[in-house]
Amino acid sequence: MTRRGRVVQPTAGGPGSVPRALRVIAALACLLWCATAVATPRVVTLDWGIAQNLIALGVAPIGVGQVAGYRSWVAGPPLPSDTREIGLRSQPNMELLAQLDPDRIFITELYAGQAQRLSSIAPVSSVDVYFSDGDVWDNTLAAVTKLGRLVDRDKAAKALIARTRRQIARQADRVPADTRPLLMLQFVDESHVRVYGSGSLVVATARRMGLDNAWHGATTRWGMAMVPISRLADINDARVIVMGPVPVGVADKIADNRVWQALPAVRQAPPVFIPAVWSFGGLPSATRFAHLIADALTRAPDTGPGWPRARPTP
Amino acid sequence: MTPARLCGLIMLAAAALAVTSFSQTAGALDPRVLWSGQASTIAHIVIVDSWLPRLVVALVAGAGLALAGVLMQQTLRNPLAAPTTLGVAAGAQFALLVATLFAPILLVYGRGLVAFSGGAAAVVLVFALAWRRGLAPNVLVLAGLVVNLYVGAASLAFILFNQEKLHGLMVWGAGSLAQNNWGDVGYLLPRLAVTAIGAAILIRSLALLDLDELNARNLGVSLPWLRLASLGLAVFITASVVAAVGLIGFIGLAAPAIVRLAGARTLMQRLCWAPVLGALLLVVTDLALQLLTGENATLIPTGATTAALGAPLLLWLIPRLSATRSAPRPRVSVPVARHRRPGRVVGLLLGAVAVMSVVALLAGQGASGWAAPFTLPWHDTGVWRLPRVLAAGVAGVLLALAGTIIQRVSGNPMASPEVLGVSAGTGLGLLTLTWFVAAPGIWAMLGAGLAGALGSLGLLIAINARSQFEPEQLLLTGISIMFAFDALQRIVLAGNDPRTQAALAWISGSTYHVTLPTACVIAVAGGLAVAVAWPVSRWLDILPLGAPTARGLGIHITVSRLALLGLVAVLTAAATLVVGPLSFVGLLAPHLARLIGLARARAQMGGAMAIGALLMIAADWVGREVLFPMEIPAGLVATLIGGTYFMYRLRRI
Repeated sequence: MTRRGRVVQPTAGGPGSVPRALRVIAALACLLWCATAVATPRVVTLDWGIAQNLIALGVAPIGVGQVAGYRSWVAGPPLPSDTREIGLRSQPNMELLAQLDPDRIFITELYAGQAQRLSSIAPVSSVDVYFSDGDVWDNTLAAVTKLGRLVDRDKAAKALIARTRRQIARQADRVPADTRPLLMLQFVDESHVRVYGSGSLVVATARRMGLDNAWHGATTRWGMAMVPISRLADINDARVIVMGPVPVGVADKIADNRVWQALPAVRQAPPVFIPAVWSFGGLPSATRFAHLIADALTRAPDTGPGWPRARPTP
Repeated sequence: MTPARLCGLIMLAAAALAVTSFSQTAGALDPRVLWSGQASTIAHIVIVDSWLPRLVVALVAGAGLALAGVLMQQTLRNPLAAPTTLGVAAGAQFALLVATLFAPILLVYGRGLVAFSGGAAAVVLVFALAWRRGLAPNVLVLAGLVVNLYVGAASLAFILFNQEKLHGLMVWGAGSLAQNNWGDVGYLLPRLAVTAIGAAILIRSLALLDLDELNARNLGVSLPWLRLASLGLAVFITASVVAAVGLIGFIGLAAPAIVRLAGARTLMQRLCWAPVLGALLLVVTDLALQLLTGENATLIPTGATTAALGAPLLLWLIPRLSATRSAPRPRVSVPVARHRRPGRVVGLLLGAVAVMSVVALLAGQGASGWAAPFTLPWHDTGVWRLPRVLAAGVAGVLLALAGTIIQRVSGNPMASPEVLGVSAGTGLGLLTLTWFVAAPGIWAMLGAGLAGALGSLGLLIAINARSQFEPEQLLLTGISIMFAFDALQRIVLAGNDPRTQAALAWISGSTYHVTLPTACVIAVAGGLAVAVAWPVSRWLDILPLGAPTARGLGIHITVSRLALLGLVAVLTAAATLVVGPLSFVGLLAPHLARLIGLARARAQMGGAMAIGALLMIAADWVGREVLFPMEIPAGLVATLIGGTYFMYRLRRI
């Protein structure tokens, strides 16, 4: 790291003429300087999932694409209040980035087309989950490890992974043993839902908690499928998890939605609501999901009106 | 083939598909159960409350759109007219966008009212713009085009910044017919009935529109009121369909055209057969899609797919369609005083371009707000700004030149490079590329864009060669390519693939991706194109006088048209690669030049190029600075700036 190199040089001063106390102070100051330099590499990222992981590693990015979007869709962990907005994730503002002069820019394969131009501002690293082969959970852990290495936080990365495992295991213990396979979905409008399947972070997390997945249809690269509600008709053994945010008006119209009301999965047990989880996210999304799903399942009654008539508990 | 036989054939196909789809959906369910007693099993409920209403909604929506299409085409005397020509769909979508983002409370009771009001408001705007000219068809079409582009650009800007939040709306925008009860059928069926009755009442007066205006007036028809009534009906049913099931392209344009081709000569015949054909076409597409993509992870929406599949059919129809065109089309000619000293005007405009370029290069915001010129180092600001200013200016020049040429060659004021389909072809290439390659580099994008542009140019030539590049047919070809592009864009947006964000940013026409080498290459190419265009400007003075006159003056019509057309394609492709397919500038700049009084071809070309450059550089700068560090693509800003002025002028012609 250049910053470190720059800092290290003063220690090479001649020892003879300088008073001892001054030397100690200088050495201490230098250590402190080195420490702070290591503590806060100035990084920016276009991707919200990477931003989550970076915050969890203790290296909050100084700039993120679409900060307002992060705050409403990703929710946790919160971005520091002084995080700079750097523009659309697909079109970060080059002039601003050049002026911010970061140490490193993190992207995913989605933004690989920008890598060459961004690299004229700072070194660019791609940390990707969905464009690599292999299991989404393994890829997510690999991404965290790689991030940790690139920001000099190897230990923090290991600790984050261990902490996540522990928390997921703890939440798994709270989940009722007889929970049916989960049918996790998000309403797109009153007739269409986005269903999560294997290949998505939420389903991978649920699996780690010992929860099965009820959607076995085709999914996209991101582990989801967008389908009309009637496609859920032949799922017989499932607990419906409605993930927020629910578009305006859908909750009011669901009473008239005869197909939804007749779905075997909806009839068997009342649908459960959980707030938004950024499904393209980093490890903090997995922990957040584990907490939310365990809370919701322990609190949810087995009979009675489910979502939307039973008001969601925030 | 008579309309009846055609519909019969398609009906057979629809029946076969319906039986297959039914047995697939119902599974082991005994069909006889359906007519007896309460729906109890889920399979039974899916058939009764989802499959069946979807079938009926497709029939009703298809019939409604086709009916609207007949009314539109008859009233506007334009085979290009579609139910969406007057901005209904664009207005509805914009209203829904704004409501979703800023007043979601309005959507609690459904989209219907908001969508309907938005669609109606857009049409009222179009009518207001054309009112002083007695709702003359061509002014209406022009006003509709402007409002469509304008509202579309505003919508795209919102979508760009709020993709996650607006996803549900994108599904609506692509026209999915999925149903979960009989609500939409109950909403649409009475409205279709009202429209049909209204059309039946108007039919005799409308038939007189086949005559020319003077004869119709002499027979005691009040043209403005007749147009208002007929278009009002068309807008009413279109807005209802759009509000219920979203945007469904192609049917409203194609069904009337096909029945006419199949031999429905009178208005009465077309009014009867077009709705039947429209209903059947939509049902066949929807059933086929359900069968083919029923197990897919990505939604393939019916409305947009119909448009995408319909585009090739439309291309096939065009040569046949133009030959059967019956009614004469009056030309819009706006008399404008010719400026005495065009050279001075162009000089002044060039000065303005220079001033704007300096502003765009030096003034701007930095990490700590607005920064005075020269306070921020050049390598943080200028190196990024220079290629963009250059590219924006060149793109403006190219589009303005292309627009001037195509408007003069076709004699059609609504002609623009966009209408020719070359921009759309370029966009199609780019969109396809982003779909197959995860993160294409700039050269891959240039290649794909150029391939798309050349492909659409090849289509234009192949289809129009026999008619010797008759302007109207040419425009129809372009519009079909635009249809395909628009449809593909909607399908991609509805899919909510994270990749769409990059595609969207490109489509909306930003100079963001331009590097200095790219900008220089395009500038050189542009310079060459201008050098080629200058000597042939004599053709542009003579061709608008009509083919016989031009031939008399010794111009080879086919050769000159083909040469000019090729030039337009190259100009447009080069510009589109830089600023995306939104080329409002190509429509606007030539108009403005003419309104200023630059009448001769060379003066108009010079003035239009200067205006084009000025507009694009200004748009690029405003787009970069107004929401800093977010950027609004230059193409969108140009459309918004230019569109406002255009509407203002349109009211006064």
